[in-house]
Amino acid sequence: MQPDRDVGVPGGAELLAFSDAVVGNDRAALDEARRAVAAAIGPQAVPAASAIAANFSKNDRVANGCGIPVDEMALKRTEEIREQLGLNDYRSARNTFRHYA
Amino acid sequence: MSFYADSDYPVRQDLADIHEAQMSQLSEPGTWGNSAQRIAIAAEARRAAYDAGQLEAPDGGDPEPEVPLPGVAKGVVRKLAVSPRDFLEDSYREARDGGLSDEEYVEIVGIVSRMVDLDVFARGIGVPLRPLPSPGPGEPSRVRLETAKQELAFVPTIPNPPEGGAEAAELYGGHPMPYIMRAVSLVPDECRRHVELEQVQYLPLPNIRIPDYQHHEGFSRSQVEIVAGRVSALNECFY
Repeated sequence: MQPDRDVGVPGGAELLAFSDAVVGNDRAALDEARRAVAAAIGPQAVPAASAIAANFSKNDRVANGCGIPVDEMALKRTEEIREQLGLNDYRSARNTFRHYA
Repeated sequence: MSFYADSDYPVRQDLADIHEAQMSQLSEPGTWGNSAQRIAIAAEARRAAYDAGQLEAPDGGDPEPEVPLPGVAKGVVRKLAVSPRDFLEDSYREARDGGLSDEEYVEIVGIVSRMVDLDVFARGIGVPLRPLPSPGPGEPSRVRLETAKQELAFVPTIPNPPEGGAEAAELYGGHPMPYIMRAVSLVPDECRRHVELEQVQYLPLPNIRIPDYQHHEGFSRSQVEIVAGRVSALNECFY
């Protein structure tokens, strides 16, 4: 995903900037991104977006830490999108492809 | 009073209650580590994030942990906390070769992942990190479920029903679960807490295939998936 692209969802650009900032190391950028999300979508969007960022920060560590594979059916279903987004280049892809070469 | 009463933004009470309970549970013994060890793991994850500039230390800093972590555990904690994209099979092998059991390793992965979760949330809504609790008494249960087996992850997992038997039925609610919900099942209490966060923060799992299901008021499923996809891309999580 390119953060500066129009993703066709209300507040999409602000959410991408918030996602980058909340797991990044620029506190001033995060404070600005938080205000932008609230202005674009509403104040309720800040804890909602934070909950999703928190949840997937957890899941990414659980997945990579435990080395779980994507199951074979999901792998077939996502072939095109993985190729488009370059996901197959992630080093953690090996946790899947070592089983389904 | 809500765990996030100091937030300028409205935080759901069910989410705040679960976060408060999970933080408080660190003061209890786990399955393979006692409370002091579990709090030391959480504190080390935070220290690594302070050092990386990914979290801001609270005024006055954190209390010193009551027990030191072995070097091998510290290495797992610090790398997983701040650099999940670099956490690959060699990191797991180093941990095992360094003396951690699979069970100890999974409990560490679970605690670090949940600690990062709570801290990212606090940072996201703009409140200081919630304080770690003081260690409580008691010894870890050291109970390993007999149905755990080596499937396709680095670590053993509890298979889906029916292979996983009554233990899987209880843990997974009688339904087959994707790997992400079974990854830390070698330590069932970690699995329960991981799923508990999933259901309150993302969505109730039975609704996952309903494309327009909305769990957060005023925040659509499309908006949810933008944040989820972007964060996982930054962490280079293929799963």
